[in-house]
Amino acid sequence: MKDKVPVIVFVGQPNCGKSTLFNSIAGYKAQTSNFPGTTVTHAHSEVIWKGKVYSIVDLPGTYSLTPQEPQEKVVLTHIFKEKPDLIVNVIDASLLCRSLELTLELLELEYPMVVVLNMMDLAEKKGMTIRVEELERRLGVPVVKAIAIHGLGTKELMDSVEKALLTKRTPVALQYGKEVEKRIQQLVKILPENFPIVANKRFTAIKTIEAETLTADKFFLENNRAFKGQLDRLRKELSEWREAPAYEVISAERHHLALKIFEECCRVRHARISWVEKLDNLIMHPILGYFFLLLIFAGMFYLIFKIGSPLETWLLKPFETLRLSLENNHNLWAELLSGLVQGIGGGIAIVLPYFIPLLLVMGFLEDLGYLARAGFLLDSFMHRIGLHGKSVPMFILGFGCNVPAIMATRILESKRDRIVTALLIPFIPCAARTTIILSLVAFLLGPWWALGFYLFNLLLISFLALVLKKIFKLSSPGLILEIPSLKLPSLKNIWQKTYFNLEEFVKFAWPILIGGSIFLSFLSFVKVDHIINAFLSPFVSGLLGLPQSLGVTLVFGFLRKELSLLMMFQALGVGYQQLLNVITKVQLLVFVVFVNFFIPCLSTLVMIWKELGRRIALISIGLNLSVAVVVSFLIRVIFSLL
Amino acid sequence: MFGKRSGYPLNEPELKGSCTLLEIPQGAVYKIVEIRGGPGLHRRLLSLGFHRGDMITLEGEAIMKGPVLVRNLNNDTRVALGRGIAQKILVEPVGSDER
Repeated sequence: MKDKVPVIVFVGQPNCGKSTLFNSIAGYKAQTSNFPGTTVTHAHSEVIWKGKVYSIVDLPGTYSLTPQEPQEKVVLTHIFKEKPDLIVNVIDASLLCRSLELTLELLELEYPMVVVLNMMDLAEKKGMTIRVEELERRLGVPVVKAIAIHGLGTKELMDSVEKALLTKRTPVALQYGKEVEKRIQQLVKILPENFPIVANKRFTAIKTIEAETLTADKFFLENNRAFKGQLDRLRKELSEWREAPAYEVISAERHHLALKIFEECCRVRHARISWVEKLDNLIMHPILGYFFLLLIFAGMFYLIFKIGSPLETWLLKPFETLRLSLENNHNLWAELLSGLVQGIGGGIAIVLPYFIPLLLVMGFLEDLGYLARAGFLLDSFMHRIGLHGKSVPMFILGFGCNVPAIMATRILESKRDRIVTALLIPFIPCAARTTIILSLVAFLLGPWWALGFYLFNLLLISFLALVLKKIFKLSSPGLILEIPSLKLPSLKNIWQKTYFNLEEFVKFAWPILIGGSIFLSFLSFVKVDHIINAFLSPFVSGLLGLPQSLGVTLVFGFLRKELSLLMMFQALGVGYQQLLNVITKVQLLVFVVFVNFFIPCLSTLVMIWKELGRRIALISIGLNLSVAVVVSFLIRVIFSLL
Repeated sequence: MFGKRSGYPLNEPELKGSCTLLEIPQGAVYKIVEIRGGPGLHRRLLSLGFHRGDMITLEGEAIMKGPVLVRNLNNDTRVALGRGIAQKILVEPVGSDER
């Protein structure tokens, strides 16, 4: 008999560090940050430990096993349909009490399980002393201590996993109070023959009682009236006993059981207020908080520009020399070689100097836990434009790359908010567009122009949100957002994260940038670019007032926004420094504005399509295209008059 | 009284001595006595660890009718709640001896 690879799933509440733990075991494969809901889809990896292969799955965080958001449903599918061999329940030890509620639910599944107390350092700082042996005894499953961010506890965890899989010991669900347990047992007895049993009968019975007001309940009603009658009688008894809906009664039972276990296993002494908390009070301050918000973002782009621009000048030199030496040959190979040089040069010298600092700063803000705080601060503003604070973290993520930002919209409760947020994200200047803005606008026109551009961009987004508010009228539910504790980011983690993103960029974007440049050289060699340019001329020159030769570059911007930038130099046949000799400042602005807004790039579009369907993707194209045309035309007219 | 949550009239007589989360001073300890609103909201709050009987304290408020920042003292979690939602959570003061 061939050995099956055991499947191990990581389950835990949002922001407990599942992905960090996963990465410290499997290598950096999953995005992490200090924001509840970073993982919205699962990541998986095969790991070899002591000569055996394990398949480890990192699932999105879920507060409970009654799912409410799309990413929580991913968890249930994995647990129920692809029955795992072992559950690793990851717990943020500093939030032990609340986390135990999910643990109790997981125990009810009676699958083999190991509990990991992650972030032990944070718990200790909070003055908590957790008696691990006592917790093990109470829960009846192995408990391992870990500090995933420093890679501590992973060996112990894997040993524990190996042992648990060998013994195949299934945990015993903990008992609730007599009144509740009695009703659960009654329901277990009357579950119909054909009832879909999940995990075991007791778990199924509990979830059935809890399903009150959920869609599953209507299903029972339609298919088995007699059973539904009995079920409602049991619910009513529970309701009357506690004067609360049955689902709340069960949830409260779990809550109290968790509280009891917590009190038995953990002692909390009052910790001094740490400097982290003082800092937290400052950045969440009702007035100073906004000052810091502004400072952080202005500082962020200033820093990126300050690091990026000298680096760019320095890196461009060798490529410039090379390009000039090729300029006088006009055979096919020389042209293609020149395209190659421009492609590689652009990728290295123009994009990386801005891209890497941006990734580092974003990584820092994410790991610090600033995203949720910005959401808190900007909630009332967001309300005015028809969204709420929970969308703010997605917009901030969008500054890095629009693709994960759109994926992150899954954590929004209402479909309407998901659509509106996803339609607005493509207007956020991502890393590629930041490169264009900083390297063209800030570098050639001055930093204040770039700042003005960002302000204008944010105003435009607010305006569009107001327009969308008129179209998508449904009111959205209010803000409910967990604010994770502020954590001092680990440099190693930020670096790993940056490296991970950089690798993706090199793998996917460089081939497009280099291939695109070579392709443009080829087009110009066989003179096809003239045909495209002539065709687009009424629009490019007529409407936008740009040199006709830029037509073809705008088309290719659809693949990657930076490609337009690289192709622009190529199409105009000049290097970086001489750019303003061939086009005017107004033309430069119009070009940047148009490239910035004209269409979500290919990967963003694919993601919108995947997440929200073809209709929304088409709307997104239409919206971006019309905004780009209108705004760049207005810019042309206004600045020409000045 | 909890049975038909969805049709809950907002002007139902207040529980004696209780008020909504929006009306309490920052820093003082209060106890959740009731969570109003539909089952969807109710479930969300339950799963975030907010139950009847939990001790909470208001930690902050954003300007311009922004959200409130609430800490659940029972399990030490912190949540930002929009005003519409905070309004649906009824609390009552806790004497220092009860803590």
